[in-house]
Amino acid sequence: MRTIRRLLVANRGEISVRVLRTARELGIGTVAVFAESDAGGIHVERADRAASLGAGSVAETYLSIPKILEAARSSGADAIHPGYGFLAENADFARAVEAEGLVWVGPPAGAIEAMGDKLRARARMREAGVPVVPGSDAGAKDPADLAREAERLGYPILVKASAGGGGKGMSRVDRPADLRAAVEEAMRIAASAFGDDSVYLEKLLERPRHVEFQVFADQRGNTVHLFERECSVQRRHQKIVEETPSSALSPALRGAMGEAAVEAARAVGYIGAGTIEFLLDTDGRFHFLEANTRLQVEHPITEATLGIDLVRWQLEVARGADLPSDWTEGRLSPRGHAIEMRLYAEDPVDFLPRAGTVLEWIEPAGPGVRVDSGVAAGSEVSLEYDPLLAKIVARGEDRPAAVERALRALDELVVLGVETNRPLLAAVLRSEEFRSGAYDTDLVSRLPREETSPAPPAAWIAAALALSGKAPSGAPAASARDPWESGDRWRPGESAG
Amino acid sequence: MKGIRLESRGEGREVLLENGNALLDGTAHSFREIRRGGSLVALELDGTVVPVRVARQGDRAFVWCAGDVFEVRRPAGRTARARPAGGEPHAGLVAPMPGRIRKTLVQTGEEVAKGQVVVVLEAMKMEHAIRAPQDGVITKLRHREGDLVDAGTVLAEIS
Repeated sequence: MRTIRRLLVANRGEISVRVLRTARELGIGTVAVFAESDAGGIHVERADRAASLGAGSVAETYLSIPKILEAARSSGADAIHPGYGFLAENADFARAVEAEGLVWVGPPAGAIEAMGDKLRARARMREAGVPVVPGSDAGAKDPADLAREAERLGYPILVKASAGGGGKGMSRVDRPADLRAAVEEAMRIAASAFGDDSVYLEKLLERPRHVEFQVFADQRGNTVHLFERECSVQRRHQKIVEETPSSALSPALRGAMGEAAVEAARAVGYIGAGTIEFLLDTDGRFHFLEANTRLQVEHPITEATLGIDLVRWQLEVARGADLPSDWTEGRLSPRGHAIEMRLYAEDPVDFLPRAGTVLEWIEPAGPGVRVDSGVAAGSEVSLEYDPLLAKIVARGEDRPAAVERALRALDELVVLGVETNRPLLAAVLRSEEFRSGAYDTDLVSRLPREETSPAPPAAWIAAALALSGKAPSGAPAASARDPWESGDRWRPGESAG
Repeated sequence: MKGIRLESRGEGREVLLENGNALLDGTAHSFREIRRGGSLVALELDGTVVPVRVARQGDRAFVWCAGDVFEVRRPAGRTARARPAGGEPHAGLVAPMPGRIRKTLVQTGEEVAKGQVVVVLEAMKMEHAIRAPQDGVITKLRHREGDLVDAGTVLAEIS
């Protein structure tokens, strides 16, 4: 067993806070890192020590391996957790951390590489007997080869970057005439974003559901799945609402997919927490899509229904502990239903990111509600970083109760100063299609266009009170917050508009 | 007390507040302010408690009410978005959305044809080609590759 005395979290915002909380509960010392422009970030005051990564762009700070390692040295950290995003799926970083003699809280570099190259991952999965989406076996650059491949698969197809992920460098092609332009575009994006311009083709599955399985493995090779997360509510290929269990899975299908997920993890010698993503077609067949070799954004819904702490077990496994016998002997079963809503700073209609100052921030609370947030009142929301403001998780005894609880939580949420996708989240939860459980990845495009309602009388009166100058202009309410946030309050009206 | 004129979501209201009564475009409501630590947290409006939060920024107020957020302005204020002098549309290239300048494909002094890609903007993980709106010469490039820009930012000028 290795010991972890002080953990550095190489991330920012909500996921940094999430990991720091568990480290504190385990009695592990903590180190936060921050870019100078992000010195007021909410993760900075949550650790015992805060190490600056200096000024500069994301590439020069949160993505800089030398600076993160230097921060670990200067703060005396003996382990590094990467969170998600940034360096979390960077095999070079994993190797550099271990070469430094530090504990890497993540999968082995080899597993990251095996899954990171989408083409190699497809090949490995096929060898392991895991079904994959029909598509090409090798990356190609020659337009004639790609055209033949597309004919073989049948349109519509998807052009994907071999090194890609998260929808980047991916485009849909419906007819042969559009293939060449799409391939050139994808190659250019892939080259600039990933430094590798290989692309490949995949058959586009119409109206699929996106269902992923949480997997976990210890260093002795015990490998389990921790059930599914339904992630079909997406816009622009990005998830906005996730839930578990999925209404699409029968017990038999759940069992088969869970086994395939475990096979996928074993095939690459996986250790720690990971996620195997599948597409489910309209005939109920599942296909391996990709693996995420890190803690997933939506991991809290698994924690909510299983009553476990995934970050704790990431740390335990990194120390060399075995997975709990409840997990390995199949005694773990989900209870109730959980829904996560991703609150983004963005225009609710065109989905473009929004920047600004958070003037007022009140989080929902109460029975069955968990909020993992990356901002507080006074925070600057910058275009520099991911526009995710918070994850709101509602757990209920059953699916209808969880949906009502999620809507109640959205009603309690107060965000002023930055536009959010709250109206879209509420529209999803209220839609007949979502409530029926029979939805697919095109749900958002089919939502009825909601009329924006005019301000109600109370809003006019409150605005008149604030703007007439007669009354104090509604300072942020003294909401009950935990002692971490007892810093200086930003006062409205003082900002240079 | 004099009424004030307010606008929100394309609608206007004349609001007059007096002694716990509000006149909204002539319709009367009774209300009571519920405050905590001096801050408005709810209104009791015609006997019903409605939670509200307000943050003021100059001539506009952000109001949260019943889960929804409204931006309310005093129309008299100079609150319109800053426009180039004269209010004429700028003879230049404007970022249609917030993002990062991924690539600048021209140099100052270079001739460009209408429709030619001048700047590649990255936003929402996608690249967007920003094209010259007319034939002309690039007289000014305002930003460098890697810069973050807001929607409406002039990226280059063309004469």
